[in-house]
Amino acid sequence: MSPDTALVRFHILTGLMCWGMACLGAFASPPPAAPMSDAEFARLYRERCEYLIDQTVASTDPDDLTKGSSFTIAANLHRRTNLEWASKRLRLANDPPSGAMFWMHPMVLLMETGKGVLSDDDWGFIRELWRTYFPYRGDTENHWVMYYVSLYLAAEMFPYAGPEAWYNGKSSQEIMADAKAFILDWMRITTSYGQGEYDSPNYIEEYTRPMALLVGWAQDPELRLKGKMMMDYILLDYAVENLEGLYGGAHSRLYPRYLLQPGMTQAAGHGWLLFNQGEYRSNGGTLMIALSGYTPPPILFRIATDRDKAYVHRELKRTRWRFRHAGPDAFEVDGKSTIPVYKYSYVHPDYILGSSQGGLLQPIQQQTWSLVWREKDLEGKTNTMFGLQPYSSPIEGTMYFPSDWDTVTDLIARSKVDYDSPDKLEGGSPYEQVFQHQSSLIALYDIPEGTRFPLISTLFSRDIKQRIEDHSGWIFGQGGPLYIAYRPFAPGEWKPVDWTGLLQGGAGGWFSTGFKELSEGSQCLVSRSLKNGYILQVAPISAFDSYTEFQDTIRSLPIDFSLEPTPSVQFTGLDGLVLTARYGSPPTVAGKPVDYSKWELFDGPFAQADRKSQTLEMIYGQQRYFLDFKNGSAKTSIVTEP
Amino acid sequence: MTRWLIILLGGLSAVAVLSAELEQRLFVAFAMTKAQQASSLPTDSGVFLQGHEAGQWSRVGPVIQAMNSITADPSNPSTLYIACGNGIVRSKDGGDSWRMVTGWRESDFTKIAVDPVNGDNVYAASVWGLSVSRDGGESWNPSNLGLEEKYCRSVIIDERNPKRLLLGTGAGIYESRNQGRSWNPIRKSSRSNILRLSRSEADSDLWIAGTEGEGAFLSRNDGRTWNPVAVKLKDRNLYGVALHASDARRMALGGWESGVWVSEDGGEIWIDRGAGLPSPNVTAVTFDPNVPDRLWVSTFEEGTYYSDDNGKIWVDGNLYGAYVLDLDSIPINQ
Repeated sequence: MSPDTALVRFHILTGLMCWGMACLGAFASPPPAAPMSDAEFARLYRERCEYLIDQTVASTDPDDLTKGSSFTIAANLHRRTNLEWASKRLRLANDPPSGAMFWMHPMVLLMETGKGVLSDDDWGFIRELWRTYFPYRGDTENHWVMYYVSLYLAAEMFPYAGPEAWYNGKSSQEIMADAKAFILDWMRITTSYGQGEYDSPNYIEEYTRPMALLVGWAQDPELRLKGKMMMDYILLDYAVENLEGLYGGAHSRLYPRYLLQPGMTQAAGHGWLLFNQGEYRSNGGTLMIALSGYTPPPILFRIATDRDKAYVHRELKRTRWRFRHAGPDAFEVDGKSTIPVYKYSYVHPDYILGSSQGGLLQPIQQQTWSLVWREKDLEGKTNTMFGLQPYSSPIEGTMYFPSDWDTVTDLIARSKVDYDSPDKLEGGSPYEQVFQHQSSLIALYDIPEGTRFPLISTLFSRDIKQRIEDHSGWIFGQGGPLYIAYRPFAPGEWKPVDWTGLLQGGAGGWFSTGFKELSEGSQCLVSRSLKNGYILQVAPISAFDSYTEFQDTIRSLPIDFSLEPTPSVQFTGLDGLVLTARYGSPPTVAGKPVDYSKWELFDGPFAQADRKSQTLEMIYGQQRYFLDFKNGSAKTSIVTEP
Repeated sequence: MTRWLIILLGGLSAVAVLSAELEQRLFVAFAMTKAQQASSLPTDSGVFLQGHEAGQWSRVGPVIQAMNSITADPSNPSTLYIACGNGIVRSKDGGDSWRMVTGWRESDFTKIAVDPVNGDNVYAASVWGLSVSRDGGESWNPSNLGLEEKYCRSVIIDERNPKRLLLGTGAGIYESRNQGRSWNPIRKSSRSNILRLSRSEADSDLWIAGTEGEGAFLSRNDGRTWNPVAVKLKDRNLYGVALHASDARRMALGGWESGVWVSEDGGEIWIDRGAGLPSPNVTAVTFDPNVPDRLWVSTFEEGTYYSDDNGKIWVDGNLYGAYVLDLDSIPINQ
């Protein structure tokens, strides 16, 4: 044995030993704090709720009738403050009404908080709005949920109003029956097949808002109970992939600003309110939760915040309904086509690495995989890494939107301005396949000739320090508390984020506001090789004595890849397991194919839910919290054997 | 204007002249997308009827996004149906009041056809398939038995035999001979998505179809066989097809990067009449119901135009900035 070989083996051994200990959280976790009691948890949560409402009311300028949303009006009505301003602002803000379901649900919040406060004239004004303004129902899952919950509750306030009272010419009873049927069906589908618009750090509030309305104000006992259960369900979905408020893993929808700043998302705002994570930040979702009186079960707080040990968490979701180009993997639910989304997240005390299987899973804003890591101060931090093939095609557009082939891409890019740009940071691709085992991730690409943007792109943010392009082909870096190793299979070139200048040029207004500051200093590794791939291997800094030792260990890991005839790779990860992946074939771990057919809706140490079960079990130590949507029950229990 | 009513007698059809006087009116369904920036919401949208002057448009129906088409019940033109993203909106009083007649299960309708003999039978095409009402729109059920793809944009009732329907789907043209209860392909193609279907009033054996990806097809034997026409447009996406109401030899096609093409010999020779239009991207074509020789075309966001000389000279018909989704005519009470 040569000295070099012996040294490599030493590094592998010591690296793997440290690695194994780090996986157990032996290095990373702070000393355990005394567990918070349920009562203390509830008291502190209530304090944050009151603080949030106080801050919203304090933002009111009673002398300025030009500012103030329906949320602000509602907070003032709740507190019985600035009532004269609220009444006048109500009229001005709705002259004319606009925003469809984004008008409806804040209006319902205003009406609910305004009971006993608003004058008869105010109510007359509001009733006239509901009679004359015909809101669009929208074209996304969140649109429909907001639309029908709002419509139900508005009608429930006037249960005997006839068809002449409503814009759609239906009576209150007809509206309530139709809306309730949709709401319950949406819950059934979600708890049976997974959410379509799954795990969005931005759009989480478009679900917590309507659920908060049901929790706080539905008079129908079934909707009130199931609204609470569904709120718990959505928050559990966030809690299990939560690291100090960061929403890790693969996501259905994310906007560029938030891709780069995972600590600034709407989800992070929920982390502050519900789990006391990060800094105070408010949004409509958290305000509605605070006003609704919703109290999360304490088990949610514990699941979201206990990061003593690393764990694997799997989820089954589905794509948005497809009416064209559904593809061979499609299956139908009640006559509508969708395909399964297999999510895998490795949640470590210091980071979350998560992925889906790749492919076109969601329109426009999909994030197929991501890495986020713990940072002390999240303000301005781009503590993330991800990759994509920037796909843009009318196939994707007409799959999900009822628009024409020739106009759909143009119309999408009117609001999502980076959709048809090679430098975009989000989106799925039919030419991308991703596979992950714990801290190792493999992505393969087989891009046909003639593809609009024939390249792949991986973000190396400005917060990945000490970047080294090693002679071995690995690229090393350090992101916060972890080491990162990235092995591209084909060469690429470094480009600044937004390398075509699309967003820096001011495209899209609000969409790109502040993007220059967020992206400055970050780069993308852009490769134009049509057959391509890469390995990502991460490890906590605490698992190694030095950066050099980490690099030596990574260099010594066996790796064998080829790009012809199709991209394939065999790689031994830091945990010593052999991973293989071939484009178009199921990946293997230690020789065993990954069996996606056994993927359940939730499968991890904190949550279990079987396919089509309409149930969810939350698990923490000996505590259990069981949601049963079929029978409409939520039960807490203690088991003797954890 | 006289219109025709089909009367069913013992299973046979006969044609009689309806005595009531009705007026045909051109309508347009559009979304004002040109000003749509940093938003998915168009600045305006809806269904508009043409006034007595060309290019005068006035709204009919509610102010709502994604309004795709309007249809009148031929036997009772006071009953109007609007196909839209929210579902189907119906008026029973000529447009004075409207009611959403579909529920949460129905959405994204593109075209509606009403049985000319029995107005209770209503057929609505949507991107999710065909929905059928047997009670004048009060209730709806899906009816897709036999369809390879549910996605459909056009549905037409055979006026000589209202039990027969033709449906334009994402996988070709399908026919039903039992009022939409089941479907059989009459021109199957996994490559072509049928965007528009139209039948000639001058020759009821003559049909025309515009497709996504395969150009246009004509049937001269009442839909039994279909043949490609206008070979220069054979791989284009054709969003507009039109057949002249009284002269079966005259027809027009329009499409993306295709402008407008006309034929005056029953589809044998096609002439490019796109010169003079501000854009080659045409989204709708129709002949004016009241000025029979007037041809209308809508361009993507660059306005709607008409020509009284079969496309040699085009006159601005307004709607600059609009994305026209349908341009057709309906009967209304005078």
